[in-house]
Amino acid sequence: MENQTKEAQWMCDKCHEALVVEKVRVCYLEGSFEVELLKCPICKMVFISDELAMGKMLEVEKGLEDK
Amino acid sequence: MDLDKLLEIGNQCIHSEPPTCVASCPVHMDVIAFAHEIEKGDFAKAYKVMENRMPFARLIGKICDHPCESACVRQECGGSIRISEFEKTVIDLGYMPPKKPLLLSKNKGSVAVIGGGLSGIVAATELDKKGYKVTIFEKTDRLGGSLWSYAGKELEVTILEEELSTIEKKGISVQYNAEISDEDLKDYYKNYDALYLGAGSWDKDYEINPHTFQANDSSLFIGGKIQTKNNSIIEAISSAKRAVVSIDRYITKTSMHASREREGIFKTKLEFNIENVQPLETTIKHANQYDENEAIAEAKRCLKCQCNECINACVHLQRFNITPDSYIRTINQNERIILGTHHANKMINSCTECGLCKAVCPVGIGMADIIHETRRSMVEKVKMPISAHDFALKDMQFSNSDAFSLIRAQPSKEASKNLFYYPMIAFSAYARGLYKGSGKTGYLFYPGCQLSSTHTEYIGDIYKHLVGAIKDKDADNDVGLYLGCCGAPADWAGRDDLMPESIEKIYKTWQEMGEPTFILACSSCAATFEKYLPMIKAISLWEVFDTYGLPEVDIKKGKRELCIHDACATRHNAGLHASVRNIVKTLGYSVHELEYSKEKAKCCGYGGLVSNANPEQAEDFVKDRIAECEDDVLVYCAMCKDTLVKGNKRTYHILDIIYGNEVNQGTAQKMPTLSERQNNRKRLKYKLLKEIWNEEESDMNPSYNFTLTIPDAVIALMEKRFILQSDIEKVVENSLTHKERFYNPQTSDYLARLRVQNVTFWVKYEEQGSNIIVKDVYSHRMEVVEK
Repeated sequence: MENQTKEAQWMCDKCHEALVVEKVRVCYLEGSFEVELLKCPICKMVFISDELAMGKMLEVEKGLEDK
Repeated sequence: MDLDKLLEIGNQCIHSEPPTCVASCPVHMDVIAFAHEIEKGDFAKAYKVMENRMPFARLIGKICDHPCESACVRQECGGSIRISEFEKTVIDLGYMPPKKPLLLSKNKGSVAVIGGGLSGIVAATELDKKGYKVTIFEKTDRLGGSLWSYAGKELEVTILEEELSTIEKKGISVQYNAEISDEDLKDYYKNYDALYLGAGSWDKDYEINPHTFQANDSSLFIGGKIQTKNNSIIEAISSAKRAVVSIDRYITKTSMHASREREGIFKTKLEFNIENVQPLETTIKHANQYDENEAIAEAKRCLKCQCNECINACVHLQRFNITPDSYIRTINQNERIILGTHHANKMINSCTECGLCKAVCPVGIGMADIIHETRRSMVEKVKMPISAHDFALKDMQFSNSDAFSLIRAQPSKEASKNLFYYPMIAFSAYARGLYKGSGKTGYLFYPGCQLSSTHTEYIGDIYKHLVGAIKDKDADNDVGLYLGCCGAPADWAGRDDLMPESIEKIYKTWQEMGEPTFILACSSCAATFEKYLPMIKAISLWEVFDTYGLPEVDIKKGKRELCIHDACATRHNAGLHASVRNIVKTLGYSVHELEYSKEKAKCCGYGGLVSNANPEQAEDFVKDRIAECEDDVLVYCAMCKDTLVKGNKRTYHILDIIYGNEVNQGTAQKMPTLSERQNNRKRLKYKLLKEIWNEEESDMNPSYNFTLTIPDAVIALMEKRFILQSDIEKVVENSLTHKERFYNPQTSDYLARLRVQNVTFWVKYEEQGSNIIVKDVYSHRMEVVEK
């Protein structure tokens, strides 16, 4: 929860828009998933936090690398 | 890779080989487990261990003739372990009455057991367990035969009777007073599926198959004294058990011979090394048998013989708690997986390929080549995790790019003439060396990428020294310089596809320069040259120093003792070991030889790219190595210094003491960061070109309109996450140019991302005019589809 509130503070610097939660496709090796992430509604730039990148994403990357 | 051949190697590992006591026990009682339980004081479990292999354990344990003891390895170090005494105490302290037997239907066939003595009752109960209907024909009016000779002495009569009474309770029928002669057997052949003859003596001599105990290919099997031809109780039991295996196979029509190589007494391949075993005297018993404490004390003397030479020496094998036999089986499984998770990948990428296991293995099994083959196979099948070696391979690419790579012959006499003046020519050996320039490159100094990264300042001085010292004695041969990477990272990563890039370039250069001798300063380069470029003559820089003399620098004579940490890649190079020690002694230091040195050198943890693939495992190596070194450490491999210093051990590269650069004991040592290493390589090329070859090269660093401030905490993150300053610069530059970034109005921080090749880098920063203060960096390999 705390993270989500913190993340909600970010906005797109180019479009000056608040970020919205939307389904985003992420791919690595043979894997492709849809996950809900924050993104800019205009330019579609997706926000990835340190916690997500070094936590769940890394775990999934390693899992796929060992497939 | 040939997995069957690999499994064969695994089978040669003697880690799981039984100790001599077990191999010389005809029924193979697990003496190690037995001693373990006694040591723990768990006599009930110890009894179970005994019962597991020994029928009628409550009786036999008291009278066994224990061939195990005369085979005990402890013999030479205080006396054999008293296993037979254990058995007696364990019976008294740990006997548990058996659970009521389940009366299963006996429908596998019928067997007649002739003779109700020791071997007969063992055969009968074993056959009963296997589901045969058994009838014992005993000539007297009681079972037990020769067991009765121990009654009232070793065996209490009540216990003997109790144990014998269990036979009929199982449902085995017994016909007493049944005197049978060989003549009578023909009826039995007709009425029973098989016969077991276990009488003490018999009126006909049969030829007994020594493996199956079968007589004349008939349904008659013979065990006990007639077969063993001796009075050993435990051998008689063994022969009965083995005959039962044959009877079962005979009746069920399965192979009589398959997988029976190690029945009875056999020779184990285990050769337990007693070199470092402290002698301990046999525990004295104060009554007619051991009491609890005496048994425990004696069990502690047991060496629990097992070959653990490699696992004792290697923290990689320790971390995964694995020995080559099971390691190889695990690789085999990992290699055969088609769909599913390759669980062993991380383990396979955590071996430093240092070769220590082979150096200490009594049968010469080495994991290094196996791991190397496995990694190659993983790469070939596109099953090698990319992240394991990606950073190191990109760094190798950097070393072989124009940013660092440099090949130059010695500056010509013509080009150097401005140095040939007095007093320069009189005092500078380098100037004299240039003056003697022959134009023929006899030697090529190849410092390697890592030494150039971390000991950048020495390279130019070493080169000049080599020109001076070598030309002084060998005027024909000029000394050239070659900066590059030998390809060791690709080799470690199993990347056969990348090896030629490095190797062929080196080979071509060598040919073009007239086949000079390479002077190598890195142990990994030495190993790579030996493996891939055997045609090139190569010598170590340390051997050159030892032969041609050390650089003329102000040598501060010390008297300190230094632990020499040999480089694992050069473990078989005795000449190099001697040269290093000569240099150290010439410089006034004394040498503390470590237990694991020279051919038994331990890896610092850098080998095999383990610090990339499994940093925790790399840390184990560093800790293990440091634990052995009381004094400051001396190394001659740049990577060893890097890893040991990072483990907070004061470590000197041999060049540090040659050039008198011992750091103040009070100050902490620091090694360059990953980014600094790349910059150092660039800087070195630039500097050498300018100072030695008088060539100006334009600064290849891209220029940005911003400066970066990176706090120490972020630098530590960059190191841990393998992120370079140049990656950060690219992200920031892109974010400033294209406004591709997020903004946090509350903290005024920006967060930007950029995909560079196969990695997306993220940088959180604060903008203070043109100064960018970096607050966080991270990365991911996943591609995020932005649409």
